Amino acid sequence: MSTFGGDSWGREAHHRKRRVDDLMLSSSSGDAASSPSFKKLSSGKFVCLVCPHNPILDNPLMLSMHNKGSRHIAAESKARESELSKRDESKKRLALSADSTGLSNSGNSRQQIKNVMFPNKPLIQKTMKAISESQCKNVDNPNAANAGHCSNITTSSSIGDSNYTCTTDGISVPPRNITGTANKILADWNSELLERREKELKFTAAGWKRDCHGKWYRDENVEFDSDEEDPNMVLE
Amino acid sequence: MYLYSLTLQRAGGIVCATNGNFVGGKTQEIVVARGKNLDLLRPDESGKLQTLLSVDVFGAIRSLAQFRLTGSQKDYLVVGSDSGRLVILEYSREHNMFHKVHQETFGKSGCRRIVPGQFLAVDPKGRAVMVAACEKQKLVYVLNRDAAARLTISSPLEAHKSHTITYSVVGVDCGFDNPIFASIELDYSESDLDPTGQAAADAQKHLTFYELDLGLNHVSRKWSEPVDNGANLLVTVPGGGDGPSGVLVCAENFVIYKNQGHPDVRAVIPRHTDLPAERGVLVVSAATHRQKSMFFFLLQTEYGDIFKVTLEHEGDRVTELKIKYFDTIPVTTSMCVLKTGFLFAASEFGNHALYQFQAIGEAEDIEASSATLMETDEGFQPVFFQPRGLKNLVRIDLVESLMPIMDMKILNLFEEETPQVFTLCGRGPRSSLRILRPGLAINEMAVSQLPGTPSAVWTVKKNINDEFDAYIVVSFVNATLVLSIGETIEEVSDSGFLDTTPSLSVSLLGDESLMQVHPNGIRHIREDGRINEWKTPGKKTIVKVGSNRLQVVIALSGGELIYFEMDLTGQLMEVEKHEMPGDVACLDIAPVPEGRQRSRFLAVGSYDNTIRILSLDPDDCMQILSVQSVSSPPESLLLLEVMASTGGEDGADHPASVFLNAGLQNGVLFRTVVDMVTGQLSDTRSRFLGLRAPKLFSATVRGRQAMLCLSSRPWLGYIHQGHFLLTPLSYEALEYAASFSSDQCAEGVVAVANEALRIFTVERLGETFNETVVPLRYTPRKFVLLPKRKHLIVIESDQGAFTAEEREAARKECLEAAGMGENGNANNGEQMENGDGDDEKEDALPDEQYGYPKAESDRWASCIRVLDPKTGNTTCLLELQDNEAAFSICTVNFHDKEYGTLLAVGTAKGLQFWPKRTVAAGFIHIYRFVEEGKSLELLHKTQVEGVPLALHQFQGRLLAGIGPVLRLYDLGKRRLLRKCENKLFPHTIVSINTYRDRIYVGDIQESFHYCKYRRDENQLYIFADDSVPRWLTAAHHIDFDTMAGADKFGNIYFVRLPQDLSDEIEEDPTGGKIKWEQGKLNGAPNKVEEIVQFHIGDVVTCLQKASLIPGGGECVIYGTVMGSVGALLPFISREDVDFFSHLEMHMRQEHPPLCGRDHMAFRSAYFPVKDVIDGDLCEQFPTLPPDLQRKIADELDRTPGEILKKLEDARNKII
Repeated sequence: MSTFGGDSWGREAHHRKRRVDDLMLSSSSGDAASSPSFKKLSSGKFVCLVCPHNPILDNPLMLSMHNKGSRHIAAESKARESELSKRDESKKRLALSADSTGLSNSGNSRQQIKNVMFPNKPLIQKTMKAISESQCKNVDNPNAANAGHCSNITTSSSIGDSNYTCTTDGISVPPRNITGTANKILADWNSELLERREKELKFTAAGWKRDCHGKWYRDENVEFDSDEEDPNMVLE
Repeated sequence: MYLYSLTLQRAGGIVCATNGNFVGGKTQEIVVARGKNLDLLRPDESGKLQTLLSVDVFGAIRSLAQFRLTGSQKDYLVVGSDSGRLVILEYSREHNMFHKVHQETFGKSGCRRIVPGQFLAVDPKGRAVMVAACEKQKLVYVLNRDAAARLTISSPLEAHKSHTITYSVVGVDCGFDNPIFASIELDYSESDLDPTGQAAADAQKHLTFYELDLGLNHVSRKWSEPVDNGANLLVTVPGGGDGPSGVLVCAENFVIYKNQGHPDVRAVIPRHTDLPAERGVLVVSAATHRQKSMFFFLLQTEYGDIFKVTLEHEGDRVTELKIKYFDTIPVTTSMCVLKTGFLFAASEFGNHALYQFQAIGEAEDIEASSATLMETDEGFQPVFFQPRGLKNLVRIDLVESLMPIMDMKILNLFEEETPQVFTLCGRGPRSSLRILRPGLAINEMAVSQLPGTPSAVWTVKKNINDEFDAYIVVSFVNATLVLSIGETIEEVSDSGFLDTTPSLSVSLLGDESLMQVHPNGIRHIREDGRINEWKTPGKKTIVKVGSNRLQVVIALSGGELIYFEMDLTGQLMEVEKHEMPGDVACLDIAPVPEGRQRSRFLAVGSYDNTIRILSLDPDDCMQILSVQSVSSPPESLLLLEVMASTGGEDGADHPASVFLNAGLQNGVLFRTVVDMVTGQLSDTRSRFLGLRAPKLFSATVRGRQAMLCLSSRPWLGYIHQGHFLLTPLSYEALEYAASFSSDQCAEGVVAVANEALRIFTVERLGETFNETVVPLRYTPRKFVLLPKRKHLIVIESDQGAFTAEEREAARKECLEAAGMGENGNANNGEQMENGDGDDEKEDALPDEQYGYPKAESDRWASCIRVLDPKTGNTTCLLELQDNEAAFSICTVNFHDKEYGTLLAVGTAKGLQFWPKRTVAAGFIHIYRFVEEGKSLELLHKTQVEGVPLALHQFQGRLLAGIGPVLRLYDLGKRRLLRKCENKLFPHTIVSINTYRDRIYVGDIQESFHYCKYRRDENQLYIFADDSVPRWLTAAHHIDFDTMAGADKFGNIYFVRLPQDLSDEIEEDPTGGKIKWEQGKLNGAPNKVEEIVQFHIGDVVTCLQKASLIPGGGECVIYGTVMGSVGALLPFISREDVDFFSHLEMHMRQEHPPLCGRDHMAFRSAYFPVKDVIDGDLCEQFPTLPPDLQRKIADELDRTPGEILKKLEDARNKII
């Protein structure tokens, strides 16, 4: 019955729509079993898992309305993007690890052949080398990029990688097989770089600036102690 | 995030107070308003103020008045609040609560200029009440009674006058003529229109009389006359046969008697001799004392001096007005003179006091009179006096108040089980550091060493009718010691007790015989000295005993229970035996109920983790009625009987019930209700008390049975204002305890611990915290902890005060001049040392009582104090020179510098707030700790361009907020070196918090700004701010993205940077985004979101995240200006949120607040409340009538008991 007492079809249509929404909802939850976009709470309400603030919605209708909203869509696309990039990254790493292990067991020719024949081998030798080199650097130099919040993340991830990557001249060997000297040289070189960078940072934090020739000069808005070190001398 | 808000310590400050006869009968009570609380106080026989009732009204109470209908025996209370309603309350003795008699709506809610509520005046004969606003509106309600003698109230009559400001309103006593109200008014209509300011300068205050014509039922302006422009307060003068009628107008320097058709009678208020000439004297509070034959007024000035004002009159003509110096007490907001000879002084800041009148100022003293008033060319001749010790008043009780809490820290410096709350309280000379510990205060009466380590202690009376105990019996491993209680406590040997064996129980049996249970038998000592001995069969020994006055049950080794009962001849007869499946861990019998032969229940705890209830009825003797399994073997049992109560002094209605309490070996106290008929157990609750298994003992508190639980600290379970409370005692761990009663100590406890016997009483029942006070010198501003040495460093500063040296010099001069003459010595005993150390001890006029001498308002006195909180000793006190005052403090470790931890203090020189905020200079002092952190040494001081209101360590450097500039300093040789700054903050930086490389800056008007420091660019960037302009008063860092803050309008809020934004900021490797991103309208590019919002109703001055109980979850604790301490606890389950939000909703509907403010509107006064559930409202659930409780419980699908349990659990999670 409509509000006017007549037999309007509007209400029925509304119901139908609602029912369809309901069904859609349950079906959508079914197909995306890997990462459902919402969760049904014990109270019968729904929580959207995609939006960062996890809004709680009273009924399926509201959830479906919310799912059509621009914020949700934006969040969804963002989530999908990050998911994709994550998958990409992991694919890359997997491939890399498969390669390196393959190469390291160079004695096993059959394996090698299998590797060569590997149909969707994603990386060419050169790229692989570059990546593993850079990852190697990361191992020794976790804080170089930017100290602070991110540092923990990078450290943990690089530790995870360090088990299997370290390449020299196209031949990758597991870390334990690296000769001590080669490792040491690399580490020394890295730590030196790190130290120098740290020193430079200290001077910038103390108010020194660099001109376009790489010379250090004092920022006129900053005060200095009378006996402060001059980076032009120290970093020579 | 959902939070549960709970007030832990109610506000201590008093806004207004009134006295009257609210209960009915002869007693006099005081009603005080503490912001949003309404308390009913009464001095008991011993002169201690007791709180009869304390109720949260969820609104701001602004004024109180009391009236009585003619011929009635009981007073009504009128409340003016921010609800836009006039509420008349009546105290109901039966239910111990205030009943709303009338609630008349007249305007909008909130404290507004023209909505009445600020002033209340009642006709002395109780025929009308006037409620007035600060401006324009005045409403008069006619009060009457109907045929059934019920109070009726008319519709309001308007007495508005636009463009007037009201200063004070009173009802004029004119007997049974038409009621008249007097008010001091200022008309500003002309000043508003005159741009030259001439009219504003000429504006004149008027005293206006409004007459309510009861016949015509309307109000008219009857009379208006100019008064002094300094007039600020009116006091009613008795009339209608008792006096001349009219009013006293208290103005600056003068008190003037005025009445219609009567010439002014004016007298000058005497002034301190050392008061600067430009300072006036204002009266701040007044009280009237009336008897049949005489009346007088007590007026207190802003300097604390009380004057007695008397009127000489012949009929209606006043001939002389006398103002005589009475005494000096701390400045009050209101004073109440009780007919019983007490003066209640509600202090403006700090502790309130109850004084007793020793005299009424009849003795010779300095007096100003209208008869001797001399007018010279320079004005009226002043009268001078010098304050002296108390002569007419003597202080008999102190009501503690933390108001105002300036700063607070929750730390466990003393390594106790629970952390301590360190608060900086008070103002000027009455300021203090108060160390609050959760728990009740203890008054230790005696400690005596015993030979050896006692294992147990009992007290026994000789006769059931005796008031006091006769013996203390102490059991050792192999002996029993009997002490008799008399004038002294001494050992006796003629008591009949066997002293060569340890005892298991000692008690009074029957009316006047004693019983001692020892491992080998029961010794029954009859009143005539005959001794009956019952021996255990075979080689068995008694292991546990339970007894009451007529029944004894013993448990033998092996698990056999033997039940004895006392027969009519006074013999102890064996009635029944019962074999338990295993050894008995503990047992207890409930006391014999009134008018019964025996108690019906025996509780037995076994090592198989069960408690059984056995019947002791002859019909089914030793039958098991019910079994309860518990988590761990019970160690001790106590059946606690709660008498039926129907209101009265302190209690809501509740039927008699029996509670079974069990102390389990895992430290949990287990409590359950025993059905009085069937013995079934229901409604179980448990609470962790400490690491040791609680031992339970019966004690007496306020004449009711209470329970003492001894775990790793002692706890007391007792009934307070109708609720069962279980609170820790602030005392060391005890081994065994018994109640104790002697003529020195009616309700004490005797306990043994280690090798000592201790006797103590429990004080201030109902309080959450007990406090230890360390006095300070000036108003404390902030403090920090020196973590390694556990010292506190406090900065104190006062405006308009002399420095210590100047005061000392002035005092010497003054003492020499006075020659140590008549200045009384009444209060030498109570003065507290104020940190000055040496010669203040013999000072007759302590500054706490009399205040500091007043200086010009641009003079500052300030000091930095290093304090050892354990001893309360000040190890170093640096008084700042040159009119400097300290405003901020922090400890800082500069990176790779040699000094270690340094102290940074931000000061301002010559700070002035009026007519414009100006400052001569600001400084940051850097101090070094010497002598193991006990003392300070100035390293250097750096001048800055504003007042440094916030300091904080950041990455081995010092961040300072100086006006709108955030600046990073490094330590240099001679001064601090400015390294980096950001000048883009809107007003003034008042708080700085840091976490990793983020800086959370609080602005005085514009809430939080999130900043980041980039080392590679040496730049500070603001990347997010709040969209709401909040006037920040307190800030605390919650987590990486979240800050908690409080604003000056009494709100607490949490803001959070949305997760995606936060990630974006942190994942900005080039830093280009943060650098170039720009916000709109000068704001930051990103905005934080408000996730929690709650109106406290009181200005929050400090916030901290802490846990007050061991192992408890962290909550946010806050302290307020009114001296209350509260907590916000995050919910951990969705069900709890649902439950409490529904309970809150039902409470809002079924139990609207008392002063007429809508609860939801109050909690959303400035911003809509968000995600906070008001625990204070939920905790009013037990005060509802039982049927209403049941109704709400039904709607929540629970029982009232379950709701109470939930409420208790929520509270126990916090404290």
